[in-house]
Amino acid sequence: MDPLIGMGALALMGAAATIAGASEDLESDIGSQSNPNSQVQLAPQMSYPHRIYNKAISGEPPSNALMCAIGGTVAYVMLNFNLSAVLALTIGSLVAAMVHGTYATTAYMGRCSSQKRFKQMVYLDVLRSHTPPIMGYSFITTFTILVVSYIMVTVFAHPFPLPLLAFIWGITVGAIGSSTGDVHYGAEREFQDEEFGSGLNTANSGKIVRKAESGLRSSMDNSWFCAKFGGPVTGIAFGMTVFLSSWITVVFDPAKSVAAGWESVIVGTLIILVLVVYNRKMEVSARKAFGPYKEDKEEAA
Amino acid sequence: MIDIAGLIAENIIYLLLITLGGVLISVSVHFVPVGGAPAAMAQACGIGTGTVQLAAGAGLTGLVTAGAMMGVTDNILLVLASGTVGAMIMITVTMIVANWVYFYGVGCPAASAKVKYDPITKDRQDLYISQGTEGHALTTVSFISGAIGAGFGGMGGGLVYYALLKIGEVAAGLTVKDIMSTTGHELVGLASIFAVGIFFMNAVIPSYNIGGTIEGFHDPKFKRWPRAALTSLVVTFLCAILAVVTLGGM
Repeated sequence: MDPLIGMGALALMGAAATIAGASEDLESDIGSQSNPNSQVQLAPQMSYPHRIYNKAISGEPPSNALMCAIGGTVAYVMLNFNLSAVLALTIGSLVAAMVHGTYATTAYMGRCSSQKRFKQMVYLDVLRSHTPPIMGYSFITTFTILVVSYIMVTVFAHPFPLPLLAFIWGITVGAIGSSTGDVHYGAEREFQDEEFGSGLNTANSGKIVRKAESGLRSSMDNSWFCAKFGGPVTGIAFGMTVFLSSWITVVFDPAKSVAAGWESVIVGTLIILVLVVYNRKMEVSARKAFGPYKEDKEEAA
Repeated sequence: MIDIAGLIAENIIYLLLITLGGVLISVSVHFVPVGGAPAAMAQACGIGTGTVQLAAGAGLTGLVTAGAMMGVTDNILLVLASGTVGAMIMITVTMIVANWVYFYGVGCPAASAKVKYDPITKDRQDLYISQGTEGHALTTVSFISGAIGAGFGGMGGGLVYYALLKIGEVAAGLTVKDIMSTTGHELVGLASIFAVGIFFMNAVIPSYNIGGTIEGFHDPKFKRWPRAALTSLVVTFLCAILAVVTLGGM
């Protein structure tokens, strides 16, 4: 393969993956999926009924994997009928978004109605206004992941079938979104009334913020807030994962010689070492910036 | 009628390689610092997601890179190294970005409640834990432990995939090159789906040991790994027999 075409396709893959990561995180923030959902679920029991969309269909990775596998399978079937790739990927994503919307609706209805004894309402306006954006985000995520998988299969001749690649990237984007962007929603946005710069005190569990910048807070406000930091960094994480893991084999192509294959492994290891050192630098600077939270009793004594 | 005993005898090396891969995956999960839901609220040290989810996310990324490598060469060492590096890149990038969120989005430093001093950097931990929490973010020891864990996971996944494809190759009388020259060969599809299945199964087994949170190899829970390894050995061996019969009998 011409290295220039390879780099161009890789850049496109990285860009698509970045969008996928960002939209995946915002989708989970607006629907309050994944781990921060535990607080949303707990809130009514602490006498904090709320207007936050509550859908934990499953953990984020399986839910995204399902979406992407559905989209990938539909697209794969349509591609086999010689339909254009753009149409096939779009229709695949549309079907996936509709399935996801169905799950979101039933999850919201089920979760909220089961908390009736804690005076949690089922808000139909929340359902009507939030489900379409959730489906929109899931469409973007599925479409961009299908683009990544399609490029891998057609340009880079990856041996895995398209639906399986979509499934695997779905798992990965869910794992990354759940590990990175969701922390911004769970640890910061849900407890914005707490002093900045501390983890959530166990005593405050379930006492989520229910007032918005104006009026009552809904999940739209959460999505707006997380789009400033949590969403984009999740995008960077997934984009970097897809880009770097493929970049090493595009530059040092193992198809040319075994030595080039080993060079790609060495470069990959170097990238990992750089990240380890960078993390250490960042840890030290954070420790200095935020300082110890307690006095050293041993020293004082 | 498939000669099952003959198939197993013929593929005994690959059977053992699959089992070894499964055990590697199972051990690898113990290294990955996961804090579950509490970590997502900066209430516990580790990555804020579930054990299986993160291990699978990293390991399957390794499987994708190992699969790509297997497409061009059947040098086992290169396939394994590529799986290892792919998984390690995924998890280090994820941990870096998670630390961005903890440091710059939530505003708390990295601290562990399980140890007083970080075993690698010797940094004091207990003074940096905010009130009412079990630590937050990822300390250097957790970071390195996570990278090692993902590496083992990617290697295990790559090993399983390599062995599965070899079984199919022997049965179909083809070489890897023949298989790869046809796009979307059914053997690749079957081998990769089996590899994903074996991966998930072995990622779930250790979660009974971990019980939601583990900080890495310095965590007391890490010592329980032999139990998970033994369980994985038995379960993966049974799965490997199934795989040999399915792929070899094609």
